Amino acid sequence: MDDGRPIFLQIAEQLESQIIDGSMREETQVPSINDLAAFHRINPATALKGVTLLVDAGILYKRRGIGMFVAQGARDRLVAARTEAFQDTYVRPLVAQARALGISPEQLTAMIRKEAEQ
Amino acid sequence: MTTYAVPTMGRRVASTVRVHLSNPWALLYTPALITLGVFGLNFAIWHIVLFAAGDNPLEPDAFDYNGGGSWVMFYLVVVAVQAMNQTFSFTVGLGSTRRDYYLGTSLIFVMLSVVFGVGLALLAGVERLTDGWGVGGRFFAPSVLQTIPVWELAMMYTLAMLLLTFVGAACGATFVRWAATGLIVFLGSLLVLAVAIVFLIVWGGWWQPIADFFSARTPWEIALLSLPITLIAGLGGFALLRRATPKG
Amino acid sequence: MTAVIEARGLTKQFGKVDAVADVTFSVQEHSICGLLGRNGAGKSTLMRLITGQEFSSAGEVDVFGRSPVEDAAVLARTCFVRESQIYPDSFRGKHVLRAAAHLFPNWDADYAARLVDEFRVPLNRRMKKMSRGQRSAVGVIVGLAARAELTLLDEPYAGLDAVARDLFYDHLLADYSANPRTIILSTHLIDEAARLLDHVIVVDGGRVLIDADADSLRGTAVTLVGGHAAVERFVEGKDVLGWEAIGGIASVTLTGLSDAERADAVAAGLELAPVSLQQLIVSRTRNTTQEVRS
Repeated sequence: MDDGRPIFLQIAEQLESQIIDGSMREETQVPSINDLAAFHRINPATALKGVTLLVDAGILYKRRGIGMFVAQGARDRLVAARTEAFQDTYVRPLVAQARALGISPEQLTAMIRKEAEQ
Repeated sequence: MTTYAVPTMGRRVASTVRVHLSNPWALLYTPALITLGVFGLNFAIWHIVLFAAGDNPLEPDAFDYNGGGSWVMFYLVVVAVQAMNQTFSFTVGLGSTRRDYYLGTSLIFVMLSVVFGVGLALLAGVERLTDGWGVGGRFFAPSVLQTIPVWELAMMYTLAMLLLTFVGAACGATFVRWAATGLIVFLGSLLVLAVAIVFLIVWGGWWQPIADFFSARTPWEIALLSLPITLIAGLGGFALLRRATPKG
Repeated sequence: MTAVIEARGLTKQFGKVDAVADVTFSVQEHSICGLLGRNGAGKSTLMRLITGQEFSSAGEVDVFGRSPVEDAAVLARTCFVRESQIYPDSFRGKHVLRAAAHLFPNWDADYAARLVDEFRVPLNRRMKKMSRGQRSAVGVIVGLAARAELTLLDEPYAGLDAVARDLFYDHLLADYSANPRTIILSTHLIDEAARLLDHVIVVDGGRVLIDADADSLRGTAVTLVGGHAAVERFVEGKDVLGWEAIGGIASVTLTGLSDAERADAVAAGLELAPVSLQQLIVSRTRNTTQEVRS
């Protein structure tokens, strides 16, 4: 948990990552606000903000009287969104660093291919 | 969120009384035990002296002037000052109002004065009945007070303790409000005032009438005269405490 | 959302010194508000003004809509616990808890007993003979078990070891989740408590320096590291909080950078690092010429 960024964003991102890597399947229940707050030792209002963010994005939904659940198709939606952001999040810094070291685009591509084929 | 009715004034004052009594040792058990202990010590000493004297008769009022039982009164002064200093900061610090605190504390002073006043007087009564515990010892009511009926003695002790506690509390409140300098100024002013009054009395030649007035009064009446002073001290103490800030 | 505390132009002078100077802020119901600042900044005085224990020189503060001074209706719903609390000489730990039970209408004795076990408080020892940590523990237990609608904790864990502090945070959160209340927590251990806070008020020299939502505050500052020249070029005209240099490298802490500007910084070869709440506040209170409200 990084203190330099809004915590509710980090909570949302953590939940998203868990959905993407499969540890939280669709139609399963997500930990309650109070449990999240207690686990991360944060203000419950902050945990609520993070969860609300995901509810608004259609990733989670609320079942009255029971709790928050992962929505149908959530994983696909998240994967699509992250793939779109992949370029900015990972590729750009990679290219910038390669440039700083003097690695040519061809060399970079070869390195990527080698890594991907392992 | 649990909401609840705010406690009434009666309950709040009762709560302050209970806060004081949270530790009953300081206010009740310890002074009671020490008094009995000192008495026991004196009792032992009387018997040792008698034993040492052997067959030689002692003076009839050898053990007469003791009056050690009245030490409790001065212990209560200390209690009063500490009540202003520590218990005030503790209780108001935790959220009581100054008014509720002072009312509760005043009630405690009255309770303690009555309990110890009556207690001492009853023991003095027993002392009288047993003719000084069989050895002519006067611990609970020294010589001068021996002829006074027990109920009057109880009132006198109670009034004396009321006076001491409230005056002690007023001094304590001065200290809390204005710190050491304030207390010195206050006591100093009192001293100056006292000297001025004495001077006026002597200069105006009122010394004799005043002396006559007091010598004509019974001890009981003199004790009653302390009430106005007690009242002034009580009101003054509150006036000081109202604007005092708890320490800590 | 109702405001539980509203201060307007609140001022307290001791002689010539302004302990609290023209302070205006409000605290919402059920907020966990951090009152942060250096030692001597005025946090304790402010808390005493809020609880009516200190008389203001000017301005006013309303608690539950009324002035708290000598108001039993307001004070019955309030609990103020501090490290410097005075205890009567003769009082042992158990007497303090007994007194608290009398003073707080919502007191939960069972909860208090459980806390005593967990914090390992020697109830039979006199308060003045307890260690600093044990005294703090007693204070914390009173603050928690009183279940007061408005709970003020002034440096409540001075002297508590790391284990006890964790216990405190856990219990505070757990009880707050089950029985919501408004909490004001003053501390100079900012990072530890930071995640619990939803609102932050920073005081410095008796004045309010920052009055903001904790989450909005997080992420407003960023540290840029890079070559001297590149950094200097980038920060021209910007809001600089702190500047450090070693060798040919400079490290600059800034606020108010937009996302676009951050992308520019990366493109310029500068490294971005997050700034924690504590670092932000420390930088701010070192340069006290700036005032931020967000």
